[in-house]
Amino acid sequence: MLIDIKDLYKIYNEGQESEVRALDGVSLQIDRGEFVAIVGASGSGKSTMMNVLGCLDVPTRGEYVLNGTDVTSLKDRELARIRNREIGFIFQGYNLLQDLDALDNVILPLIYRGTSIFEREELAMAALARVGMDDRARHRPSQMSGGQQQRVAIARAIATHPPIIMADEPTGALDSKTGRHVLGILQQLYREGTTILLITHDDGIAATAPRVVRLSDGKIISDKHQEVDWL
Amino acid sequence: MNLMQAFKMAFKSIASKKMRSFLTMLGIIIGVASVVIMVSVVQGQNKKQMEYLEAMGDNKIQVYASRWYGSSGDISELLYEYCLGMQDLVVGVTPQIEVWQEITIKYGAKTFNTQNWDDWEKRVSLKLGSDQFGVCNNYTLGGGRELSFLDVDKTNRVCVLGGGAKKLLFDFVDPVGETIFINSQPFLVVGWYEPTGVEGMSDMDNVVLLPYTFNRTLNNNQDISQYVVKAKSAAATTMAIAKLKAFLGGFITNGENGNYDVYSNNDWSNQMQEQSLMQSLVLGAIAGISLLVGGIGIMNIMLVTVTERTREIGIRKAIGAERRSIIVQFLIEAAVICGIGGLIGIGLGCMGSLIAGKFLLQGMILWPSSVITIGAFTFSVALGVVFGLYPAIKASSLQPVEALRAE
Repeated sequence: MLIDIKDLYKIYNEGQESEVRALDGVSLQIDRGEFVAIVGASGSGKSTMMNVLGCLDVPTRGEYVLNGTDVTSLKDRELARIRNREIGFIFQGYNLLQDLDALDNVILPLIYRGTSIFEREELAMAALARVGMDDRARHRPSQMSGGQQQRVAIARAIATHPPIIMADEPTGALDSKTGRHVLGILQQLYREGTTILLITHDDGIAATAPRVVRLSDGKIISDKHQEVDWL
Repeated sequence: MNLMQAFKMAFKSIASKKMRSFLTMLGIIIGVASVVIMVSVVQGQNKKQMEYLEAMGDNKIQVYASRWYGSSGDISELLYEYCLGMQDLVVGVTPQIEVWQEITIKYGAKTFNTQNWDDWEKRVSLKLGSDQFGVCNNYTLGGGRELSFLDVDKTNRVCVLGGGAKKLLFDFVDPVGETIFINSQPFLVVGWYEPTGVEGMSDMDNVVLLPYTFNRTLNNNQDISQYVVKAKSAAATTMAIAKLKAFLGGFITNGENGNYDVYSNNDWSNQMQEQSLMQSLVLGAIAGISLLVGGIGIMNIMLVTVTERTREIGIRKAIGAERRSIIVQFLIEAAVICGIGGLIGIGLGCMGSLIAGKFLLQGMILWPSSVITIGAFTFSVALGVVFGLYPAIKASSLQPVEALRAE
């Protein structure tokens, strides 16, 4: 079991009138090498789910065991290590650093990992090549299209070869053709054994995932496996 | 992440935001430069005053005494006798008279004038004194001899030249034994003084000294009203002043039948030191305020900068940066920006000091004191680092998701 959450709550303003239960007692298990789409309408709690699973946010209460480690008891330093080595993030808004070029953006997680200065550039170039962006290594985000920026963001996410990729609406800001290209990259990573968590509100995209978990009002309302055409 | 990497990252970030980095630096540059300039100007001015006082010599008592017409008798002879009588307290006594009539001084084809107020550097003044004039006024004899008692007694046509007058009249030729013409009367040069070396004080050096017994012919027959008494020590100065005041008080009531005054350079020097201390305090306060304003500028831009970079902090945390790495990065960035700004400020301050010295203090070469320079530098850098670091610490302790939400 790679991800194991039990009775997980994320409650804002608990006990007040404005209380919001973004996650309301969620339990979920995900095995190594799965491709899971987490689907739901806006406000269903799916983004909160990813943030908690990705150690970007802490749950109000509940259990979260990642790869055998109880994450809820970890300190900043160990959480940073998990975010760096175990999980690669892809965001809807790319979240590239605007002042750095593509290569430097991809090198960044390798720096925090402590990779030797002689290997970094090579590893980053390899990651850029995987998403077909190696010819634009010295371009800044402002000189690239949305699809290109998202590919650089994917390269950054896979630069440290994390076993899990979490993507929050990765195609949300892209046209359908580039969106399909980005999805294709995720599917390729899945075939190579990476666990993929894809958060989306789009049922069309959810239909391409072998497993679909549906959220509503902070609760899981369905969890289904399905046949997909690309496998 | 090691320190080298942190430095590299900081430089990259500074270079990629040149305008912002420059604005941050500007406060420091102005603050440091203004402190450096102000302090060096004050120090330069003090130094100049001290040099002037030193050249004039200490323990020098100025005596002024005159009785109005109608009062009986001339006290100048009595006063001179009295001064000469204070042998236990006094090194030397001389009448000290400047001739204010227009007088030409001529050697060969060169002519100078005592009334040449248009060109101070070329104005030569005529002074009258005794054989102790040099001792009393702290002159060092460069060649030849001083006036002698006989010169005074016999009203000999001899003179001693100040360093400036010697240069103007004779250039580098030895003037001893030469004859100059004062209002067409021949005078034999018997000696000359070394220049006092105080810049901008040509009136101490552009001097021709004659025996004071020429007072009657050159000075419209006025009484001698000014004397300089050189005392042996600071204590002797105080005693001599008291004695002279008592003596003169016996003849003159100030404002009724004449005026007298006795004072020493020691008083004056104390006064000047007090004054320059005040100046230092006032200018220091102004410089401090400008440094403070610069500091507030740094603080503002640092607060804005880090707040605007909260999202960047979120991204860095999401891809694996520890709190510590982020704090170290911002610390180094702030220190580097402020350090560069401080160095530019010191550079500008030194240049400004040189310019101020040239135009405000007659070409004096001003160099700022290292204590003040380092102090101003440290203060600005500390300010930048503290105010750059505080918001960074705050932002780095947010959950990554909260920092990522920032716009």
